[in-house]
Amino acid sequence: MQSVQYDNLQETLYYEVMDNGLHVYVLPKPGFNKTYATFATKYGSVDNHFRVEGQNEVVVPDGIAHFLEHKMFEEPQGDIFATFASQGASANAFTSFDQTVYLFSATENIEDNLETLINFVQNPYFTDQNVDKEKGIIGQEIGMYEDNADWRVYFGLIEAMYKVHPVHIDIAGTVESISTITKETLYSCYNAFYHPSNMLLFVVGGVKPEEVFELVRNNQAKKSYEPQGEIERFFEQEQMEVAEEKRVKKLTVSMPKCLFGFKEKKVGFVGEELLKRDLTTKLMLDLLFGSSTPLYQKLYDEDLISDSFGYEYNSSPHYAFSIIGGDTRDPDVLLQRIQEEVDLMVKAGFKESNFERSRKKKMGGYLRMLNSPENIAHEFTKYQFRGSDFFSVLQVYESITLKDVNDCLQEHIDWSQVAVSVVVNP
Amino acid sequence: MNKTRFEHGSAGRLRIHVLPTKRFKTFAISLYVGIPLSEDTVTSTALTPFVLRRGTASYPETTQFRERLEQLYGAGFGFDVYKRGDNQIVQFRMDTINDTFVQSQESLLESSFAFLGEVVTRPALEDGHFKNAYVQAEKENVRKKIESIVNDKIRYAAERCLEEMCRNEPYRLHPLGQRKDLDHITAESLYKSYLNWLNESSMDLYVVGDTTLEEVQKLVEQHFHLDATQPVAYETKQSIREVSEVRTIVEKLDVNQGKLNMGLRTTITYGDDEYASALMYNGILGGYPHSKLFLNVREKESLAYYASSRYDGHKGLGTIQSGIEVQNYEKAVEIIENQLEEMRTGEITELEMSQTKAMIRNLLREMDDSAFEMISFDFNGQLSGKERTVEQLVQQIENISVEDVRAAASTFELDTIYFLRGQKEE
Repeated sequence: MQSVQYDNLQETLYYEVMDNGLHVYVLPKPGFNKTYATFATKYGSVDNHFRVEGQNEVVVPDGIAHFLEHKMFEEPQGDIFATFASQGASANAFTSFDQTVYLFSATENIEDNLETLINFVQNPYFTDQNVDKEKGIIGQEIGMYEDNADWRVYFGLIEAMYKVHPVHIDIAGTVESISTITKETLYSCYNAFYHPSNMLLFVVGGVKPEEVFELVRNNQAKKSYEPQGEIERFFEQEQMEVAEEKRVKKLTVSMPKCLFGFKEKKVGFVGEELLKRDLTTKLMLDLLFGSSTPLYQKLYDEDLISDSFGYEYNSSPHYAFSIIGGDTRDPDVLLQRIQEEVDLMVKAGFKESNFERSRKKKMGGYLRMLNSPENIAHEFTKYQFRGSDFFSVLQVYESITLKDVNDCLQEHIDWSQVAVSVVVNP
Repeated sequence: MNKTRFEHGSAGRLRIHVLPTKRFKTFAISLYVGIPLSEDTVTSTALTPFVLRRGTASYPETTQFRERLEQLYGAGFGFDVYKRGDNQIVQFRMDTINDTFVQSQESLLESSFAFLGEVVTRPALEDGHFKNAYVQAEKENVRKKIESIVNDKIRYAAERCLEEMCRNEPYRLHPLGQRKDLDHITAESLYKSYLNWLNESSMDLYVVGDTTLEEVQKLVEQHFHLDATQPVAYETKQSIREVSEVRTIVEKLDVNQGKLNMGLRTTITYGDDEYASALMYNGILGGYPHSKLFLNVREKESLAYYASSRYDGHKGLGTIQSGIEVQNYEKAVEIIENQLEEMRTGEITELEMSQTKAMIRNLLREMDDSAFEMISFDFNGQLSGKERTVEQLVQQIENISVEDVRAAASTFELDTIYFLRGQKEE
């Protein structure tokens, strides 16, 4: 067991790598009743074409990572939710582009619940019958998202930006793509990506680190895993330009929804460099589009945006893009006005005082997030899978200079890299 | 177990509740301002916080107002308007970093009180009333928000169901008010409504963090400019209505998936001794993934992705919601009615009892780890005139028998079935 102390955050993180390669992290929160644990695999919707060292190359149906997540909850003795319920734990799971996360939160029976979490994820049970049954349920989940205008406009933008990279494929897949999933394809994905060396267990709350490690060590010692080689993931070469300039979807909405974003030209960054670029770009976007900026106020006064207006930035080693926008009475006018105003900002650059204020805001936001065990576990895992340290965020913010942010502004705002997605009334 | 008892005091019209603790990295501040829900005031009350967040006497311009929050290390500031029982509540929230984590020149707690006190009691004015430009812009903003309810079909169906069910009560009103009222509201009329609201409402101020009741009391006296009268208590009697017959409403909109919602009435409310039985009733019926609705509608029949129930102890009603294919409507209704019947006849296993107890116990004890959830739980007590600690409620849940749940079930009566479906005939 090793530990690292973050004095500026008043937190200590404990960690250990198990013999089979599983990474385990524990963050004790003295005084907390609750323990929150996540068991995550570095495997998400984008990993649809891969090869495990020494094995054959595989292409799998869209939506299979998410399908697998659903199916993990079924055990030979029944639904694992029932076991968690008997032990007083709320359990859940989610699948994103690049990870699948299983989790529980509980205030009692922590050891039993931890064992249950690890065991059910390490014990796949797929049959022709239970795979078939799930297609109806996931079909309804897909239908639910099809009715959701916010999801449609959001995903529409990613579809407009990316032509071949699987980030543009809906995480749940389609009714057609999941219809081809069989228990064999599920096992093949499971065996590739649920090897302990591709997984991370994070436990936060009122726990004693040594007890957690002891439990995990004993649990893993009872299971035999052959060492697994590297997983090679194949992504077709994505073009630099966006796939489409504009995507339009029709759905009953009170007002059009409009999102736009810039597709990064340069990707391939990892670790600390990726983290610094990520935080710098978020600072830059806040200085441009944050709710205290003159641009935001102007657009609000012109009745072009509402409280729904916002921005986000997604970056990974393979893709990176910004998403900006919200509800608007007129998407065309909104985009035109934003381009006019943003071009002026690009020319002028940001001021030191605004930069300092915005950075303070971001640092405060980060510290506030540390009140939530859920956020800590999710963010830590996400950062770790991308090769960076979530607890270094404050230091990275401190290292960012006005010049960094101004350079980022010049680089990111390139109107030839823009895609637009709107949802309008039929 | 942590101490979660708030220390209670008052300053003029404000009841003050403070929980001193060092467990969090922030000071969590909540101010609840509530009045009885009424057709005459619902819209002006809803509009008021939107105008208050545009500017104060010291920061009259909205950009100044927001910059100030960023200087306070991005202090979180927000508000919500919602119904709780027959009351319309405006909740202001602040979440400010504890100074020990940053190099701040000022006391962030004091600065937050100075800020919030101004927001509520010293708004930006012109000619003795609210600034006209702010009132006009925020009327537009609220109008858009009311119109946007239809965008989220799941939420829309849930709200339409309650609106139909409570069509003869104030509870039919949306917390954001009525669109038709907005036209008649002027900067002068709204300022008058605001002064009445300040004078007639019940006000509860909460702080959780590294402070004391004495310090908070002093800060309130310094920064909240309110009449020095007594606090106003909430009206605790809820209007209970009887069900005469089940009404079914079918509405068509362009949705892919049908949204089935049901509304039930119960005589049990938050202040009653049977409250714990009603919580158990809801938990066994549809509160969790081990509940009857999830197991029978989703897992057994694959009809839906979501199928759940909720219990609102403030109003005394229950709701059921599920997303299904239109052609499965009758089948789904039948399955749900069968579950309701099982609840009435007490067909409940010991396992369902113990699982649900464990889940509710966990949910209640987890609240101690979130400052805002602790605040919310204590406020429910203030609102209902029923003081009940988390541990008391846990104990009451522990003692519930199948017979108690059956007795609670006999008070839940189906009132309304609401179905939102696509335009196409199937």
